Amino acid sequence: MSAGRGRLGGGALSSGGAPSSPVASSPVGARLADLEISRAWLVDPASEREGPGEIVVEDGILVAVTWLEGAEAVGIDATSVVVAPGLVDLHAHLREPGNEDAETVATGLAAAAHGGFTTVCAMPNTDPAADDPAVVVRMRDAAAASGSPVELLVHGAVTMARGGEQLARLGELADIGVVGFSDDGSPVRSATIFRNALTYAGMLGLPILDHPEDGSQTEGAEANEGLVATVLGLRGWPVAAEAVAVARDLAILAEVVREVAGARLHLTHVSTAASLDLVRRAKADGLPVTCDVTPHHLALSDEWVAGARRFAWAALASDGSARDPWRDEAIVAAPYDPSTRVNPPLRSAMDAAACRTALRDGTADAIATDHAPHTDVDKVVEFGLAANGISGIETALGLTLAAVDAGEFSLPTAIRALTSGPAAVLGGRTAARGLVEGAPADLVVFDRSATWRVDAEAFASKGKNTPLLGMELPGRVLLTVAGGRIAYEAPDA
Amino acid sequence: MNAAADPALAVPDDAAVPAESEATVIANPAPAGRWGHRHLLDVDVLSESDLDLVMRTADTMAGVLARPIPKVPTLRGWGITILFYEASTRTRVSFEVAAKNLSADVVNIAAASSSVSKGESLIDTVRTIEALGARMLVMRHATSGAPYLAAEHFSGSVLNGGDGWHAHPTQALLDLYTLRARLPGGSVRGKKIVILGDVLHSRVARSNLWSLTAAGADVWVCGPSTLLRGFETWSRAGVAGSRGFTVTSDLRAALRDADAVMALRIQRERMASGLLPSLREYAARFGLTRERLALAKPDALVMHPGPMNEGVEIAPDVASGAQSVIEDQVANGVAVRMALLYLLAGARE
Repeated sequence: MSAGRGRLGGGALSSGGAPSSPVASSPVGARLADLEISRAWLVDPASEREGPGEIVVEDGILVAVTWLEGAEAVGIDATSVVVAPGLVDLHAHLREPGNEDAETVATGLAAAAHGGFTTVCAMPNTDPAADDPAVVVRMRDAAAASGSPVELLVHGAVTMARGGEQLARLGELADIGVVGFSDDGSPVRSATIFRNALTYAGMLGLPILDHPEDGSQTEGAEANEGLVATVLGLRGWPVAAEAVAVARDLAILAEVVREVAGARLHLTHVSTAASLDLVRRAKADGLPVTCDVTPHHLALSDEWVAGARRFAWAALASDGSARDPWRDEAIVAAPYDPSTRVNPPLRSAMDAAACRTALRDGTADAIATDHAPHTDVDKVVEFGLAANGISGIETALGLTLAAVDAGEFSLPTAIRALTSGPAAVLGGRTAARGLVEGAPADLVVFDRSATWRVDAEAFASKGKNTPLLGMELPGRVLLTVAGGRIAYEAPDA
Repeated sequence: MNAAADPALAVPDDAAVPAESEATVIANPAPAGRWGHRHLLDVDVLSESDLDLVMRTADTMAGVLARPIPKVPTLRGWGITILFYEASTRTRVSFEVAAKNLSADVVNIAAASSSVSKGESLIDTVRTIEALGARMLVMRHATSGAPYLAAEHFSGSVLNGGDGWHAHPTQALLDLYTLRARLPGGSVRGKKIVILGDVLHSRVARSNLWSLTAAGADVWVCGPSTLLRGFETWSRAGVAGSRGFTVTSDLRAALRDADAVMALRIQRERMASGLLPSLREYAARFGLTRERLALAKPDALVMHPGPMNEGVEIAPDVASGAQSVIEDQVANGVAVRMALLYLLAGARE
């Protein structure tokens, strides 16, 4: 190993070479990665392989990936230091332009790197909305100025000002490289406009990312309809509101795709068993549909609104129904914590289980964070008046790994849903995820055996709005390398 | 407890009131019980013995109210702010009278006339109220759960005077007090009690479900199916630690052999939101009339949290009939609220 090269291995992180700094610092932007990780657990969705191995990165290029076998591999398992491709987030709210108090492109990308992400797709519900190329340019300028090596991709709006009436400048947005279109936050209410958008975007070869919600069923809705909402006196948010929208979208897709072969639909933050069943059937029918689930919808459930703080798999009875948090005496926090308010709402433990099943059987293509930072002014208010959303990009990997630890799905399934899965949804618009020799290093290194405490002060995001504050999550991120450069390095690494 | 023999109430330990000559200190009104709640936000946290303590303390307060001058110095020097974000007459006045009977210094804030209407946040409002010296905050808010937020930012006690659809703890407790006072045997245990009407939007219904089931009553909720949404699920889950309750739209089944019937107010906006065809149809199918009341036990009690729409959810002759205890509810409300202010003032947490 050469001097000046960072060295990780043996299930722990060690820094080698020149005093304290593992790599030579680069004068502009992030440093090129120059490191060697020995005796780690590699997870490579490209080769569908996981196992003991070593990697070497020189001048930002992944020059060697070595799989260890036999005696060399003894003592290395999936609980040691894990090396995986850089994570891809299909769905994050970076709030710039327009709401820089809540987040900026710079803080959002820093938060992404802290969470292990090397590619982030910014949603277009900025102010003004990304319905015009100028807004996209501005976001990219902010990313460039931040010096972050994390790749910023942008979804354009479907309609002008996300108003649901007039199509946004879809062609111009496509020309400057948006990766999809979405009116996320508000669904495209008019089925006709939705159909037109799907048809036009199909011509451009881009997907529509729909937020499936039938607004006529969710006016004033506050929490998932069910026992918790009824007991707490919160306006119910029916499962049917999502399923109706998904069914509509799929019915329209089935017709559009007969004439526009390029039409593609991506359903984002699908949160219910009913919706996932519809997607499963549509995929079986060969429709060009993909979908994602969020870490919070697969790991938390609506009882968190009542003050329970156990993972969704622990809230499931042996017969598959949701347990009663009051009967279980599982209420440990005050009810109505506005940090548990999100759209779609935290669902029942059964729906959360369906999200995990969908990841196992491939119905869900990706885990997307729906990172939604908010200021305290908008969030720390009465539950019924609080903005929807969870600041989630820094806890996404930890929540997902908590599900892996609980045996809900495998580590490769988790990594695939965070890397190659979302990359495939983006087509060729981000680098394919894999541990491929000769390519710029794009990877995350995390310690499976180390838990970490979710701490608002340690968040790079301006948004501290998460019900996970104070909890211990598995999988501390040690290092994030994006496009060959160091995007994040744990302080003690 | 014989309150007449005990001319005044114990002052909570830290109340800045020396015992005065005319205010002979009595023993704690409930020596056997201990009150462990700093706030009263919901009835779901109250155990059966808590409920019992409230009832016995309210008995003592009823004794105070029976005096020629119904006033004791118990909370002299205590600042109590009554902050109502929703219009209310009876609950607000009931709290005010209760606090004044305990000699507290009462400040009333109606949200419409304060900086609240200028967009001041609830947290700022609560901090301001505390800075102005209040040690107790009685609040009503249109949003379910708002008192929990207030409680997090207030160093004194918060007493929920009704939040959204969620809870109205003092109403449930005064209802329980009224039932215990008027039912044969002085207990609701095993008694069939019907909550009739707009259960979906009712904080009174939710709070009564907790307290009545905790006290062992056989609770039935009844109304049009659109106004029972979610309650069948709740009833299947049961209420933790209790025997559950029955949900039905069959009014005759609900009323048959009932020991008490609690009618809930129907709001006009339920028609606009498509939950009911018309008030007239509601009255025809679910109004509590004399004929229907006859299905219940002969001496069944008739209750209503007010304000009433006479001729809609309750017929005028039922509301003012011999079985009606609606006025008792109002009078008992003062005693129960005095009891709660007293218990919260002495709470240690």
